[in-house]
Amino acid sequence: MGGAARNEKRRKQDEAARKLAAAGIKVERKTGPNRTAIIMVAVVVVFALLVGGFIFWQRSSSSADVVASYPVAVSGAVVTAGSGPVVVDTYEDYLCPQCERFETRYGDEIKTALNEGRITVKYHAIAILDRLTEPQGYSTRAANAALCAAAANIFPGYHEKLFAEQPAEGGSGLTDEQLVAFGTELGAGPDFGTCVTGGANSAAVGAETEKAAADQALQTEGTFGTPTVTVNGKKIDLNDTSWLQSAIGA
Amino acid sequence: MAGLARGPGGDHYAERVKSGRALDVIGTLARLGLAAVWLISGGLKAVDPDQTYVAVRAYDVLPDVGVEVVAALLPWVEIAFGVLLLVGVGTRIVAVLSLALLVVFVAGVVQAWARGLSIDCGCFGGGGTVEPGQTAYVQELLRDTGFALLACWLIARPRTLASLDSRLVDSERT
Repeated sequence: MGGAARNEKRRKQDEAARKLAAAGIKVERKTGPNRTAIIMVAVVVVFALLVGGFIFWQRSSSSADVVASYPVAVSGAVVTAGSGPVVVDTYEDYLCPQCERFETRYGDEIKTALNEGRITVKYHAIAILDRLTEPQGYSTRAANAALCAAAANIFPGYHEKLFAEQPAEGGSGLTDEQLVAFGTELGAGPDFGTCVTGGANSAAVGAETEKAAADQALQTEGTFGTPTVTVNGKKIDLNDTSWLQSAIGA
Repeated sequence: MAGLARGPGGDHYAERVKSGRALDVIGTLARLGLAAVWLISGGLKAVDPDQTYVAVRAYDVLPDVGVEVVAALLPWVEIAFGVLLLVGVGTRIVAVLSLALLVVFVAGVVQAWARGLSIDCGCFGGGGTVEPGQTAYVQELLRDTGFALLACWLIARPRTLASLDSRLVDSERT
């Protein structure tokens, strides 16, 4: 409809221009929005979307489901997984969004290296973001639950689940019931529930957090944050996306 | 005694040309300013995709998949707008698109403020949740409004100096 009306208008304009031309008057045709410009804008924007889409695809295409088959031991607030020669220490708060990014990005890679016996990972349960939930304290409750999961022999799956279901900062966090339910789904026994609701490891988490925060070797520009990762005791730069490959010489 | 022959309204015409030049200069500054805004903000987001993801997630509007997609595409769209404005091609169209994107940003910040979230807008990199006392919603909104004014100028009067648009028009006339 609109197209037909436009054509009609254009036909009339052409006719008028012809008549004027015949009379020796030249009219400068007013061009609408420049067609070349529109095409160029479209091309550049589509190109940009393709670049973004390609990078997105490249970064997210590595999620082959890896099943954990490595041994796990727990001591205090530190869970030790695997027994490989390269020792990786991770300091994570279960509420920290960058930690969730770290797990999404490197979780499978770490799991594979653990399964192949190349690395030992010491997961330090840290709670520095307790004040960011209402009521406060989700970081400690989640860290405690993860340690309970290690005792119940379901740590790899539970650790992954806590990050997959990570609540937003500023919200209320997951409830104890939810934390218990995740464990039950993964096959934890009845002791797990008591451990989670009783906060059996909360004191250990607090002590581990204080210890890590005071360790200058773990600080970035004078402050301790999460995630912090060390390889054989040396803090690594997480902007280096191939840190694990270089650590295990793959 | 007799001066130059003047055409009807000659003085007015000269004045119009002069003020047109001044407006062209203002438009050029608006165009390059907005180009710089997009290139810098897009560049800072593109070099740190994880931080961009955290920033988008903090608005707490989209589901996780949506957050992934927006965080992946947004930096490149901003860079595309910046490049187009820098060379001055399709200035009016890009200004309209810029204004639309800025409106989305403002809506995002306003909803976060209204819901009592405490986040950094992540407009120029960074972003995510901040301590309740450390939000800067007023400054962020004022800044976005300023950028929106640049876009509005270019929508109303897209003619600028040293733009590819002017060449495209010239070549069509010959």
